Amino acid sequence: MSSTTTTREYFQNVWDSLATTFAGMRITGKYLMQKPITVQYPDERLPIPDRYRGIHYLEQEKCINCLACARACPIDCIEMDAIRHGKELEWVLFTLDYQKCMFCELCVYPCPKDCIHMGTEFAFVSFDRSEFNHDLLSYKGMSREARIRKREADIKKAEKEAAKAAAAAEKAAQEAADPETPEEPAS
Amino acid sequence: MSLLTLEAAAGGNAISELLGGIAPEGTPTWAIWLGAAGAAVGLLVAFVSLVAMFSVWLERKVSAHIQCRYGPMYVGGWHGWAQTLADGVKLLLKEDMIPLGADKPLFVLAPALVLGAIFGALVALPLAPGFFFADVNMGLFLILAFSSLTTIGVVMAGWASNSKWSLYGAMREAAQVVAYEVPLGVSLFVPLMVAGTFSLTEASAAQSGWFGMHWFIFQNPFMLPAFIIFFIAALAETKRAPFDLPEAESELVAGFMTEYSGIRWSFFFMEEYAAMFLMSAVGAVFFFGGYHSPLTAMFPDEATSGLLYQLVCAGTLIFKSFVGVFVMMWLRWTLPRLRIDQVMSMGYKYLTPLALACVLGAAIWETIFA
Ligand code: SF4
Ligand code: SF4
Repeated sequence: MSSTTTTREYFQNVWDSLATTFAGMRITGKYLMQKPITVQYPDERLPIPDRYRGIHYLEQEKCINCLACARACPIDCIEMDAIRHGKELEWVLFTLDYQKCMFCELCVYPCPKDCIHMGTEFAFVSFDRSEFNHDLLSYKGMSREARIRKREADIKKAEKEAAKAAAAAEKAAQEAADPETPEEPAS
Repeated sequence: MSLLTLEAAAGGNAISELLGGIAPEGTPTWAIWLGAAGAAVGLLVAFVSLVAMFSVWLERKVSAHIQCRYGPMYVGGWHGWAQTLADGVKLLLKEDMIPLGADKPLFVLAPALVLGAIFGALVALPLAPGFFFADVNMGLFLILAFSSLTTIGVVMAGWASNSKWSLYGAMREAAQVVAYEVPLGVSLFVPLMVAGTFSLTEASAAQSGWFGMHWFIFQNPFMLPAFIIFFIAALAETKRAPFDLPEAESELVAGFMTEYSGIRWSFFFMEEYAAMFLMSAVGAVFFFGGYHSPLTAMFPDEATSGLLYQLVCAGTLIFKSFVGVFVMMWLRWTLPRLRIDQVMSMGYKYLTPLALACVLGAAIWETIFA
């Protein structure tokens, strides 16, 4: 601050401080009237990008227990175990330790069945550390891609089953040809 | 002064009349007085708490919306209206801590003095023509005196805390109040000259014409600059941003309140919001028509003694005061904090001479045109 002020500067200062204050108040007033840009978080959420790297989602029925993902993980946080009954797998555990995981997505690429994905869920709170050793077998949060894929697979399966049922019904109707118990073909 | 307010609270106003009406025959006068004083104190405490609670909620909402956030939304249901209540309960339940090196009696006394001073100032504030605790004929003096008494409490708190942050905060408060007390008082001379009275009730009554819009601010061209000076000085007096140097949290932790916690700390906050309300109310009474508005002007003369009229008047003044409080909050979330040398130069070099010039101009105007 200069120590001497001319009369002109004095009134200029008065004017400037008033004018800038009103300019500032106009700006903040505009924001005051505007709709807030934040959302009410737990009730409302901002859309999360599809390729977000959140908590993993495992398509358990496709997984073949090949350990490729566990080997790829640089910090060894995936553990799995399953018992094989012929073609069927009986899962014992598939855990991912989120105390260690750094969400690098390296476990996703080597999967031969494309069945482990990074989901969109990111909030993971727990009262106990052991709960961070997360059991993917029971986890239901899926990424969008996985959900789409699952829905498509489900639709295909349903179609196949419907076709099969229709064929079976037709066959049954042809074989029996009994007017007393006419079977409605399931559609 | 306490005797005066006691007398005024007990003598000749609604509470003592009411008590005298319902008290059994033969009740001594002093008992009625005591009862009336107790009721008045209860009302005042309730009023200050309500004003502070509402203002804290408003401040949170205003700050949030200025920053494009929502602010409290959950507690109590509608837009978090009970957030302050929850905070109050939390503060009450906190451990009462007094630092080891603190001067205990002063440390305990300071918040009480601060809050007591603001109660004292509110006594002289008439909310409606028949709705006041004391119609002091030097009401404005009383209010200004009591509101600068809070400074003593703040300095006391800063000294007693035995902490460098507190002491710095207290010294800044003292320097700031000394600098801004002058323009605050001098700028109020302008409406005083127009009103010709120090009494808040009379000043309000003088603005009842023009269908409730005969406000002092329209009566003299020097009113508006005087009001701006008054408002700035009131901001400094109530330690509000951009003059919140006593508690400058970025430099002084929390200034004079650093060592306080729990309910004692909340006393300082209640004082701050009550003082904001009080200063806005004084501004409303001396510049913006007091409890008169077109709404109150619609009542016919016979109805002006009725309860409804009184309530509408009180509502008008409270509304005007909260508009002032809102502008104070708006300014707080707009302007950054000044430096202490800027605060001083603004007080001494700008506001004081300009306030004096306003008084001179208004005096000349009044002599010529009024
Ligand atoms: S995201 Fe990275 S760290 Fe986490 S489990 Fe997969 S490979 Fe391991
Ligand atoms: S790489 Fe894929 S298929 Fe193999 S164990 Fe991991 S998730 Fe299962």
